[in-house]
Amino acid sequence: MADEDKPKKASLFQVFRDIVYGMSSHEMTRHAVRSRASMEHLFILITMGDLLGVPILPPYYSLRLLPYVTPQISTWKRRMLRERDITDTIG
Amino acid sequence: MSLREVFERHSERRYIMFGGKGGLGKTTLSATCAYWLARQGKRVLLFSVDPQASLSDIFQQDIFGKGAVPIVENLWAQEIDADRRIKEYQDEIRQKILDMYGFDRVPEEIDSYIASASAEPAMEESAIFDAVVDIVVKGDYDYYIYDLVPLGHALYYLSMAKVYDEWINKITKLREEMGQYDQVAATLRRQEKVEEDKILEELQYIKSRINTSSQILTDKQKTAFFFVLVPEEMIILDTRKAAELFARFDVPISGYVVNRVLPEELRAGNIPAYLKNRIRMQDKYLAEIRNSLGSQILAYVPEMERDITGLPMIERLARQLFEASR
Repeated sequence: MADEDKPKKASLFQVFRDIVYGMSSHEMTRHAVRSRASMEHLFILITMGDLLGVPILPPYYSLRLLPYVTPQISTWKRRMLRERDITDTIG
Repeated sequence: MSLREVFERHSERRYIMFGGKGGLGKTTLSATCAYWLARQGKRVLLFSVDPQASLSDIFQQDIFGKGAVPIVENLWAQEIDADRRIKEYQDEIRQKILDMYGFDRVPEEIDSYIASASAEPAMEESAIFDAVVDIVVKGDYDYYIYDLVPLGHALYYLSMAKVYDEWINKITKLREEMGQYDQVAATLRRQEKVEEDKILEELQYIKSRINTSSQILTDKQKTAFFFVLVPEEMIILDTRKAAELFARFDVPISGYVVNRVLPEELRAGNIPAYLKNRIRMQDKYLAEIRNSLGSQILAYVPEMERDITGLPMIERLARQLFEASR
């Protein structure tokens, strides 16, 4: 069927595009995403600090934000409370 | 100037507050003022931001948590039920989490956070101030009369409003920066567009709420803040301190009302030494108040022979406050 050829061609192009992406901008993307993630953690800390015993935002309003950060809460807590060692400074 | 003249000259001042230490008669004066304005044909809402509100007592009618209850023509009174408001709000948050992620129940950690957040003392005050924003933005009335919490709380709120405002500006900025990183990642990955940041929207909403309530407290055009004091040494000292603090937070102080002045007729005749001493003491402090506040004193309210509760008593006091001059 003609329909089947089209996605194949497209995916070949896709593969090429992915390779170029991987060689050129993947590292930058990764950096952006990682920076974004640590900012996310910082953000949750300053809004949901109560969860760790650091109250900052008035709790009445921080509750409004809670639904949006619910999925991140457990990873965030782990990250904030885990022990740190020398390997943290590498990479 | 008298209290009456202040209201007549500045009809644009729609938010009226009486402040002062606890137990000096703020609620009584708020109620009296509200009653008088309603009598002048203005639509008035008197509401309490005090968790231990006493409007129900003064009007001898249970109005707690019932919304705006009509008292007399043109006058409504409202006591905010902070506990119920907090409960409803918590449920709303829980429901939102369930809806957003399709959970059967709220994760335990999150749920306990919701529960513990409400135990914070600041929670109640924030909830009440938030409720006030709802009441005031509707703009259904000519006058909004706040039955304020004692000075400390009002100051706490004012200072918090400033801190919150700056703080929210900062996190809003952080959030916007985060959005830029999203944008970069999305562009590099050739994604069409970034998801809109709901959190940023929420932050802007929170900011507007906090701003609305603190703006009203500091609006020189629309707000009149009256201090209530009594002729006693400690009260004079505390009021002076509080007035300085309020001025620093840009609260427009419109004048002072001196409450609990022993009536003239007590001086006549043969009076017991105790009373004589009280009167002498009051005279001294009254002179002190007159010296330091002078023309800013808008009214002297006599000590009544009984509690001010019920409409007839309020009407009597209103006449004293707005029609008599001394």
